Amino acid sequence: MKLIAKYNRVNIPIIIITLVISSIAFYFMIRYVLVHQLDKDLQIEKEEIIHYVNEKGTLPEATKYKDQQIEFYPAVDNHFKTKYFTEDDYDHPEGEIKSFRKLEFPVSANGINYKAVVKKSMQETEDIIQMILLIVLVVIVFLLLVLFVANRFLLAKLWKPFNQTLDQLKQFNLSSKNKITLGDTDINEFKELNETALIMTQKVMNDYGALKKFTENASHEIQTPLAIIKNKIEILSQSENLERSQLHLIQTINDAATRLSKLNQSLLLLTKIENNQFDSNTSVDISLIVNRCIENYEELAGIKGIIIEKNIQDHIFLKVNDSLAEILISNIVLNAIRHNDQNGKIQIELNPKQLEARNTGNEPQVNTTILFERFRKDTASNDSIGLGLSIVKTICDTYGFEIIYRYSEGWHLIKIAFGNQ
Amino acid sequence: MKILIVEDEKELSESIYTYLSSQDYICETATDYAAAVDKIEFSEYDCILLDINLPGGNGLKILELLKADKKTDGVLIISAKNSLDDKIKGLNLGADDYLSKPFHLSEMNARIAAIIRRKKFEGNSIIQFHQLNIDTLSKIVTIKNNPVELTRKEYELLLYFVSNKNRIISKEAIAEHLWGYDMTGNLDFIYTHIKNLRKKLMDAGGADYVKSIYGMGYKFTLQ
Repeated sequence: MKLIAKYNRVNIPIIIITLVISSIAFYFMIRYVLVHQLDKDLQIEKEEIIHYVNEKGTLPEATKYKDQQIEFYPAVDNHFKTKYFTEDDYDHPEGEIKSFRKLEFPVSANGINYKAVVKKSMQETEDIIQMILLIVLVVIVFLLLVLFVANRFLLAKLWKPFNQTLDQLKQFNLSSKNKITLGDTDINEFKELNETALIMTQKVMNDYGALKKFTENASHEIQTPLAIIKNKIEILSQSENLERSQLHLIQTINDAATRLSKLNQSLLLLTKIENNQFDSNTSVDISLIVNRCIENYEELAGIKGIIIEKNIQDHIFLKVNDSLAEILISNIVLNAIRHNDQNGKIQIELNPKQLEARNTGNEPQVNTTILFERFRKDTASNDSIGLGLSIVKTICDTYGFEIIYRYSEGWHLIKIAFGNQ
Repeated sequence: MKILIVEDEKELSESIYTYLSSQDYICETATDYAAAVDKIEFSEYDCILLDINLPGGNGLKILELLKADKKTDGVLIISAKNSLDDKIKGLNLGADDYLSKPFHLSEMNARIAAIIRRKKFEGNSIIQFHQLNIDTLSKIVTIKNNPVELTRKEYELLLYFVSNKNRIISKEAIAEHLWGYDMTGNLDFIYTHIKNLRKKLMDAGGADYVKSIYGMGYKFTLQ
């Protein structure tokens, strides 16, 4: 739920309830004031009638004006109380039933008791109350409308710095090394948010950088002891009169050292790619590299009876690092040879949009969606270290290339779309 | 043939020394920048093995010194950094080749041989081994004047063998030399490759030079 929706869910009912309660209170208050005013008028009329009776000794004429009517009724005695009340009555000039405010009081003329009734139409009062209620209603509607518009536009504007910060954080990418740039805001909360976001991303980047640096340094430091091990094995293996069991031991040590060294070099390469330590400011003729790679591995493929068919368009230039391009393509070609059948086929196609490599081979045993993850490998070829495709993927990511793997009807397909480059 | 090994890691330096000495090179070692500069100033080497990261100075500086003195010593950079920058800088400063650690001694040996061949035997590009004759310029191989038709990789393999004659070369050293660092996993195809080369050499009238050493690899030898 959006913050504004949550806020409105509480705010709008409260506003409506407050307004309704206050308009009801308002209604009763105005009604009380107006009726009080009517009662006062009736009181004045009463005093005038009594004054008239005292002076003239007769009753004044009963009048039937529109707004004020006086009526006299014979009464048994004059002991009943003076009282104000509201009553519906027949309105003579209008000819319909209407609400009246009445005052009845005892009056005596010439020794005869009368009940005098002065009544005033409440029509005007009702009209005023209606008008006031209408105004209140209009105000409520107007207020809600204003609130709605304010939420729509004012709040959108108020939250703009927040949304900008959010967008920046979403786009924040550790490996791209781009610092986030946050807009200015005079709202304290957002200011604090921005400051915290800046500090956090900076810290994350520093930690990430330190980790990368550590990986790189560790890999470098491992190289030298590895070099010593491998070279000593090489010298040891040159010794005369080694027994078979000793040769076997040397071979096993050598295999393990080789594996370790490849692993280390691959990890180092991955780290370096991710650290953007490869310049890619010049355009590289990819066609040349693809042709060279195929030529390099053609004999290797030939040993397995694999035929490489190629359809390479000339002079396709990409802005990449040539070493990385070479690693990328040779990994793909090698992969197509390694995971191929005896006497299989490889088709390599290059055009300005994409590089496609197909090869025959068994259906992959692993889930192909995680094919590009590190240390994932087909169980069938347990001797690979499982970093080749991950290197391919990392290089593609670096240059914004899209890489797709598919297997259908006995063919593996790896497609690299160059995108906008 | 004189070689200077500039390498601060004692064990590595020793391994290189042992391997190269057995290949009939005369080796000298320097373990820091100052010692290396001293040696370079006072004598000439056919090839200098140069580590970039040295105590007391950067190996690239030594390249600059060589260039300034107009010396023609061949230089093979060996570096643990495997950094492209170093490689490009080194080659621009006049180094002949670049090898990153860890490397096979046989690979290093082949690279040194290639550097010396390029530097020293101007006009004389023929390598001879027994009845085998390799012209490294025209890339023509003959045995007793019979031409041997080799594929590109077979030729490279033969050259690698001859550079490391009488030494055991491991399968992965061969694989890496022929196809580069990316080669991992099953290396059984090397066997097929070597079988083909062997057969071609013997068909042309050569001896069976390639001996298979159980578990270890291969040796190119007359015995």
